[in-house]
Amino acid sequence: MSKTALVVDDSPTMRQMVAFTLTNAGFTVVEAEHGKDAVRKVSDGGKMDIVVTDLNMPEMDGITLIKELRKLAAFKFTPILMLTTESAMEKKQAGKAAGATGWIVKPFNPEVLLKTIAKVMPA
Amino acid sequence: MTADAGRSTRAGSETDEGSLPSRQQQAWEAFAVCAVRLIPVLKAQMTSVTQETERAAIDLLAHLRVLASEDAAVTAEDKSGSLSKVVMAMQFQDITRQKLEHVGQALDQWNLHLQALMRGPNDEDAKREIAALQRIEQSYTMEEERRLHASAVTFEYQDSIPTDVVDGEAEPDSVTLF
Repeated sequence: MSKTALVVDDSPTMRQMVAFTLTNAGFTVVEAEHGKDAVRKVSDGGKMDIVVTDLNMPEMDGITLIKELRKLAAFKFTPILMLTTESAMEKKQAGKAAGATGWIVKPFNPEVLLKTIAKVMPA
Repeated sequence: MTADAGRSTRAGSETDEGSLPSRQQQAWEAFAVCAVRLIPVLKAQMTSVTQETERAAIDLLAHLRVLASEDAAVTAEDKSGSLSKVVMAMQFQDITRQKLEHVGQALDQWNLHLQALMRGPNDEDAKREIAALQRIEQSYTMEEERRLHASAVTFEYQDSIPTDVVDGEAEPDSVTLF
């Protein structure tokens, strides 16, 4: 059974780039435009094997999304990677405090993204 | 924009000949100082967008050539590497979009400030708007934007601001695991 990934980004280009990379690696990808859209898409209790989210998004940003997801039993231990152009240390600290598993600065290298996912996903 | 232009917008509306023209003139001069500081910053940010798109287009072409190649010397590994590079290069759209949005936000703030000045000697409004204009660096999300901003504010307007990404700077420690 293939692994499922939730990809959250307000940029359609970025969503498609991440989805393309993950789909090629065998993942089933669910896309969301922003944090609220992502929360709505997992509200049926569906589990994800990995979440890759942008930071700056309309409606609900990545930090708030992580906090919301961590409240759900199904996402308590799900690896969540922040994928963003932001590289400031204080933002990374905020991500860590919210419950992010890791932080990747855009532009991402597909091989690096897949290796990072392999590292953080339970075998 | 000059202090004279500012005075002309409120001609005939003064009751205090001594202090109001002076306050209004100061507000326009403060705006002029801020504009002189910001124009090179916005110009540098836009130049970097042009360079980013050009770099991405050149990268894309190079890697598409590898992907389309029927040369036996081009291995499957070469093609896989080029596909990764294509995915990286395509992300220029997201990066340039954000940079242009930040330039747009600065121009919007500039517009609000000008409107405040033209309404007359609304000192508090003008102070608030100019303060917001001076904080545009807070809207940045990329180190490159912050670096360009810092360079631009220290350069004279006619100087060429270095906007190219320095070799080896494109992929600084891109992954942090907590």
